[in-house]
Amino acid sequence: MSLFLEMKQLFAAMPPLLNIGYVLLIFSILLVVFILKKHQYSLRWVLPFKNKEKSITEDLLKQLYHVASSGRTTDFKMLSGALKISERKILKIVESMTQNGLIKISGSHVTLTETGKNYALSIIRIHRLWEKYLSEKTGFDKSLWHDLAETKEHQLSNEEVEQLYEELGRPRFDPHGDPIPTALGEMISETGTSIAEIPKDTIAKIIHIEDEPRSIYRQIIKEKLHIGAHVKILASENHHIIFESEGHSIQLSTVVASNIQVVLLKSREVYEEGKVRLSSLTEGEHATILGISTECRGANRRRLLDLGFIKGTLLTLEYMGPNQNPRAYRLRNTLIALRNDKADFILIEKTQYDRTGSL
Amino acid sequence: MKNKDTQDLLDLASELRWEVGENFHDTLVEGIYTDAAQIAQKTEIKIGEPNPYSFERKLDRVLTSKKYGFPIMILILSIILWLTIQGANYPSGLLASFFLEFLHPILKTGAFQLGLPWWLDGFLIDGVYLALGWVISVMLPPMAIFFPMFTLLEDFGYLPRVAFNLDSLFKKSGAHGKQALTMSMGWGCNAAGVVATRIIDSPRERLIAIITNNFSLCNGRWPTQILIATIFIGALVPDGFSSIVASIAVIGIALLGVGFTFLSSWILSKTLLKGEVSTFALELPPYRPPNLWTTLYTSLIDRTLIVLWRAMVFAGPAGAIIWLISNIYVSDLSLANITIDWIDDFGLFFGLNGVILLAYVVAIPANEIVIPTILMLTVARLNLMGAGDGVMFELESTTETATLLHAGGWTLLTGINLMFFSLLHNPCSTTIYTIYQETKSWKWTTFASIMPVILGFLVTFLVTQIWQLFH
Repeated sequence: MSLFLEMKQLFAAMPPLLNIGYVLLIFSILLVVFILKKHQYSLRWVLPFKNKEKSITEDLLKQLYHVASSGRTTDFKMLSGALKISERKILKIVESMTQNGLIKISGSHVTLTETGKNYALSIIRIHRLWEKYLSEKTGFDKSLWHDLAETKEHQLSNEEVEQLYEELGRPRFDPHGDPIPTALGEMISETGTSIAEIPKDTIAKIIHIEDEPRSIYRQIIKEKLHIGAHVKILASENHHIIFESEGHSIQLSTVVASNIQVVLLKSREVYEEGKVRLSSLTEGEHATILGISTECRGANRRRLLDLGFIKGTLLTLEYMGPNQNPRAYRLRNTLIALRNDKADFILIEKTQYDRTGSL
Repeated sequence: MKNKDTQDLLDLASELRWEVGENFHDTLVEGIYTDAAQIAQKTEIKIGEPNPYSFERKLDRVLTSKKYGFPIMILILSIILWLTIQGANYPSGLLASFFLEFLHPILKTGAFQLGLPWWLDGFLIDGVYLALGWVISVMLPPMAIFFPMFTLLEDFGYLPRVAFNLDSLFKKSGAHGKQALTMSMGWGCNAAGVVATRIIDSPRERLIAIITNNFSLCNGRWPTQILIATIFIGALVPDGFSSIVASIAVIGIALLGVGFTFLSSWILSKTLLKGEVSTFALELPPYRPPNLWTTLYTSLIDRTLIVLWRAMVFAGPAGAIIWLISNIYVSDLSLANITIDWIDDFGLFFGLNGVILLAYVVAIPANEIVIPTILMLTVARLNLMGAGDGVMFELESTTETATLLHAGGWTLLTGINLMFFSLLHNPCSTTIYTIYQETKSWKWTTFASIMPVILGFLVTFLVTQIWQLFH
């Protein structure tokens, strides 16, 4: 009762809207939201010290592994720059890592020991498995996978990882096309070449898209390029290259393009010249389905297959929704509505036959 | 020796898996699908090709066109709502006079003759029985009209086209296109709307649909909206226009609800339920004449009766509580009056009052009994002679109700805020229970129950502040 009386006085004391109290309250809420948003993925400073040390150690091991596998060497200064942690702190952690036999120091150079290498591989394994999990089982946008996995890799226990591995059907590659190390630490080395080094008129298949740095990765996925897509190089010059993929001509600067790894097509794979995306079909046009892009995964992919979006099926764009999206396609005598972003995943070849529902 | 062979084989398999790549499972599955399709193609005999200019295609072009798609949709919905509200009036009145005017006195007399103590008689007959009678007579007719009509449209094949039209809006708010269907189902009853979200296969988007279903103004709330709009907003204009203005106000509230559905879906999909929109693959079935009798039967049994039963289970105890708080006295004041005095200032701060807040607390089981409870509590508070303490009733005419409410200190602001609060408050206990049944999560059930109340207080607070700025 008395509490309520106080509240009553409080309410009575507040003039409407223009009270400085409200303004301050609203601004402080906005400020908190802004700060949280900015530090969404790097909440390390909130973690207790022990976990913090563990994740720095693991990040350091990963960094050393990547440096070693690309045949370079590194020192404290470079490590400090790459991980955005002060050199003093790095030194402290490196000291305890040396004591635990994870790394060797010769002069200012740091190299991994065998134990350290295995530890690094196990972290890479968790990271890539988690990205695989995010791509198959959740609806997170692919630009978020890396950051989410970056935190998760320090949290999963060995048992959890093995369980995850079984659940995902023992995958060997992550959604970026990187190999996932086995539990014993076996992994093939990456064999693709950068798309920027491929000569003109060559046909190749994308096998890997590097997800770091984030700004470049965002630029690549904005072009809807994905693993498994066939590309045909149209022009390759000093500063940029132009290539064709799924009916679209794409121009990328060499810096960006060097983050895309390709291999030449194997002899049994055919490059389909007229391959375009279903979203490019216009009203009344007919097409034959050539397949579903590998970018469409998990439940989404199975749903499309269940509906009959299978290689060889004929379809027609019957009509469009009020905003041109979604669009209704007729296949096998059924009308199916698809959103345009999903129609991007279905690859077709435009045909002339005025006959629907047959092969 | 044998073990060594097996090990070699396993090693070889493991090594080869690096070469087959990551999508060999998919390739295999697709191969099987393609083979199956080809076999079916060979053995299937087709008689006649579909006519490309059939009636069905023409109808589809009109119903989904940029120009007519949305107007037709709003028109059909208004007709259904109008038929429901108008058509339910008469049977509702009939049921009410049977339960409340005919059976109630008989029961009272019977109880008197049996010599039941006054408190048992009041508790059972004035409390539990009257609440049940109210809920049945106000809920049953509209649901028995709305659900069959809705099912007929679904059977005919129109509802998938509605989902198709509205999809781009839902896509923008990060929700599933089929939420259009569950949302309109919610206009009949939120509990039924929540059950209907089963058609959405992605768990994330289904949860969004469940949480936001409460923003669809349900059948139990339409009468409240219409009554309050007539009394407070209709009275602002000359008599001739009052019913039109009141209707526009009510439709405005319903559309505001749709707006809140989009807004909260968007906020949820950007924050708590982050994630990409899943595949929207909607089958648009061919139009066919609806099967009238089956439709009537299934919509009555599956939807109407189940929902009504749940509502009754919750309404009985509510009636008992309402009766108890009006009849238990602590130092000359009934519990109801003590509570109202206690929360009145809190209510006034949000432009409502203690009576409304208490009515919404005790009427959690069913929105239908909000107005009778408000009237009863107002009478008890003003110490007027009503039907007796803790007895729910409804006044014969709107004018009488208006007089009573004005006597209770209601202003235009109270009316407007009640309309907002009626749209934005916790779901009824039937819906809350259904949400738990569907999500099996206390966390989300609590969230879905509390979030609208907070929103309601926020909106009424803002309205009150703006109101005070001009007065």
